[in-house]
Amino acid sequence: MNNTRTYLIEALIGLGATLIIVTTLGLYMLNESNRINEAQIQVLSAQLDESITLYAENCSVCHGLKGEGIGATPALNNPALVTMAFDDLYKTISRGRFDTAMPAWSKEDGGPLSDYQIEEMIALIQYGDWNVTGERVVNLGFAPLVPFTTDPDPVLLAEVANLPDGLTLQTAIQIFASSCVACHGADGLGSGIAPALNDPLVRAKTTDELTRTITFGNAGTLMAGWNNTLTTDEINAMVTLVQRWDEVPAGIIPAPDIPIPTTAESIALGSNLYTANCSRCHGPEGQGTPRAPSLNVKGLLTSTSDQALQQIITSGVPGTAMPTWGDRMTDAEIQAIVGFIRQWEATAPEVATPVRTGGGGPPWLRSTTATQSTTGSTGQGDVSPALQPIAQQARPLQTLDWRILVLAGAGLSFAFTLIATGFSSLRKKE
Amino acid sequence: MTEQTPQPDPEPSVLDRMRERLVPDGMPSDDRGRMRMVMDSLILHIHPAKVEVSTLKWTYTWGLGGLAGLLMMILGVTGIILINNYTPSAPQAYLDILELNSNVWFGELIRNLHHWSANLLIVVSVLHLIRVFVTGAYRPPRELNWLIGVAMLLLVIGANFTGYLLPWDQLAYWAITVGTSIISYIPLIGNWLSRLILGGPEVGANTLLNFYSMHISFIPLLIFGLMSYHFWRVRKDGGLTLPKKAESTLDVKPERVTTIPHLVRREFVFAIVWIAIILVFAMLVPAPLEGIANPDMSPNPAKAPWYFMGLQELLLHFHPLFGAIILPGFAILAIFLLPFFDINLASVGVYFRSQRGRSLTLLGIGLALIATPIWILLDEYVLNWNAWLPTWDMLISNGLIPLAVILLPLIFLDEWMHKTFQADTEERVLFIAAFLFIAFIVLTVIGIFFRGPGMSLNWPWAMPVH
Repeated sequence: MNNTRTYLIEALIGLGATLIIVTTLGLYMLNESNRINEAQIQVLSAQLDESITLYAENCSVCHGLKGEGIGATPALNNPALVTMAFDDLYKTISRGRFDTAMPAWSKEDGGPLSDYQIEEMIALIQYGDWNVTGERVVNLGFAPLVPFTTDPDPVLLAEVANLPDGLTLQTAIQIFASSCVACHGADGLGSGIAPALNDPLVRAKTTDELTRTITFGNAGTLMAGWNNTLTTDEINAMVTLVQRWDEVPAGIIPAPDIPIPTTAESIALGSNLYTANCSRCHGPEGQGTPRAPSLNVKGLLTSTSDQALQQIITSGVPGTAMPTWGDRMTDAEIQAIVGFIRQWEATAPEVATPVRTGGGGPPWLRSTTATQSTTGSTGQGDVSPALQPIAQQARPLQTLDWRILVLAGAGLSFAFTLIATGFSSLRKKE
Repeated sequence: MTEQTPQPDPEPSVLDRMRERLVPDGMPSDDRGRMRMVMDSLILHIHPAKVEVSTLKWTYTWGLGGLAGLLMMILGVTGIILINNYTPSAPQAYLDILELNSNVWFGELIRNLHHWSANLLIVVSVLHLIRVFVTGAYRPPRELNWLIGVAMLLLVIGANFTGYLLPWDQLAYWAITVGTSIISYIPLIGNWLSRLILGGPEVGANTLLNFYSMHISFIPLLIFGLMSYHFWRVRKDGGLTLPKKAESTLDVKPERVTTIPHLVRREFVFAIVWIAIILVFAMLVPAPLEGIANPDMSPNPAKAPWYFMGLQELLLHFHPLFGAIILPGFAILAIFLLPFFDINLASVGVYFRSQRGRSLTLLGIGLALIATPIWILLDEYVLNWNAWLPTWDMLISNGLIPLAVILLPLIFLDEWMHKTFQADTEERVLFIAAFLFIAFIVLTVIGIFFRGPGMSLNWPWAMPVH
């Protein structure tokens, strides 16, 4: 009978579904411990990936490219740290370490890192690969921030010997050039991360105070205690240098002109940032617009060092429309932009032709200068698609390929079929 | 006294006693017993003791209401398990999800089941609403149940939206940020309401706690209460709607069969099949989880949850007061009020009312499929009312004028249907509803798949990465 047949079919369907539920659950369970292992590895590698970037941005300045430690800062690639208790590591990073240069990093204690990020840092210490970390630090353009050393100008250094107690000053200048210039800047004029020492206010401090600061550091700041690295005589020499800096000729400790290293990754980042932030005024390919000067021009690029470009972007140009970007982007991002701009140097034209700003309106009425620009003349045409500004990538109505034809054809014919069917049956009724 | 030797009653086993307690009269063997069983059971009592054979045809309801109920049950069970592995505080919430995925047996499966069931529930609820709408099953005496159903749909969306934030990843954080930013466009009370819901000026730890409590207590309780009432009301209003014609042409009483086993068996098979489908899907497709929420780094583009993408798309073309408040508000109001406009009982239970209604629906769908993309392209590249009418208020230049551009042709079309094809009120409602619903679906699809960085239009296969 029909009824029994329906019953049989339904019973079979139900039985089949039950079998599927049971077998798939069983198979899933067999694989579960495998899956959990894989998930753990995946979570850990995602955390390590993020922590390496955090390390590059926050820690590498003191703890070095590969966690090897710099100067008075301890190494992190130390096997003893791997076995250290999680809580101890957590406390040290989140609250800092008293009487050292290690500040508190937790947001609760005024630092920049969230609890989650601190846990990621611990994952880096316990499971991280320091060689990979070193590569990332270089890729992100933080390598120059690792204390660089300069050589004191030999002519001026010889002159210093003629000053009273010149030998002490010479020693101190050499130590400054190898250990202090990274933070306290060329000629002791200071940098973004440490104050100027070549300064009347510092000279006014007592010998005791200066000696104490250099020996034991300044808790709560990046100033490390140097008593383990420098001898008492060397520390005294440093104090003498700080007190008598006005006698030292200017330019004796030059700033190095180290080009910012670039990678495909950093150039892609720079390209995106440039498109998003700079191209409106400086033009999509740096040709300049009526609002801002050209960047893609020989004269500018050959005469301006990477450091100077970074300085201009970071601090802006007072009195012009160029804003301060330092508070909106990280150093790594600004350096990526510098690296991206630097790329143009090889092909930059002698004289740039600023583009007119193409307005809105339908695409077929828009000026095409903005998208074609100086491609022909400067040889920028062979930039890979990933590096092209977004504005130049495919937009609807401008590109036609088979998928568009298929989509539009299928959609339109479907819609028209519906309409035709509807109408014809309406008319039939009449 | 009989002469038989008194046999000592065999002591009933524990199992027998349990069965005795659960089913005192034993499993029924005849229809009478089966009907009794339905009437005596609290849960089975949502069914009548006997049902008409024609209501068993599953191509009439497609089992959508029952599927929604089943999904609610799956969500309840998996949700309770998830509560035990979750702390509603940032960043612990995210760590708990990582822990669930990487350190809890079946943790990921439970989360996947919950995630996919919740998303399926939205689709199924909307389809259920459409089914009830196109068969006119909201007409008297079922108006009240329609209202409850629509209220439940809104609650389901609310439950999904509050649940969206709980994993506390980038996807959750920014989708909720975009989604809740719409609230502040409500006139007069918008900012106050936004602060109330978010527990602060922006999505943060307080929002997480607010959403969590709404998600696990308030909304499920309301849904549970309304759902029970909804089921009860179906029975009270006379069960499923049936075509009037079928009843009147037959002189004999329609054939009726007992609920057990005919209806209950089908429901069980249906439920098991769907459980199998959802389970297999949840095993194969993991629920999305991105990096931890980072308020300092917004993705580009930042998109709302997928079911709000139609609204977000609408916001690109309208002043926020129109796009976010007036248009959706009127749409919801219209859905609520439908049963009070459309009271013609003649065509209850017939899909699309009549042959003419069917044609008009097809027409509405076809027109919307063509008109919506054209209008989006025009608005994106050609129309620029703000620039053309710079001295006009934005509410007019970017609100009333585009609205008129859309509504006037629609009103004209509606009049034309009325005059030329003698469409009655119900058929015109069907035409307009089909047009607007498909237009909304097209907006949603374009919002989800065609919007790239800066919400610029792009082909899905040539989406610029940002």
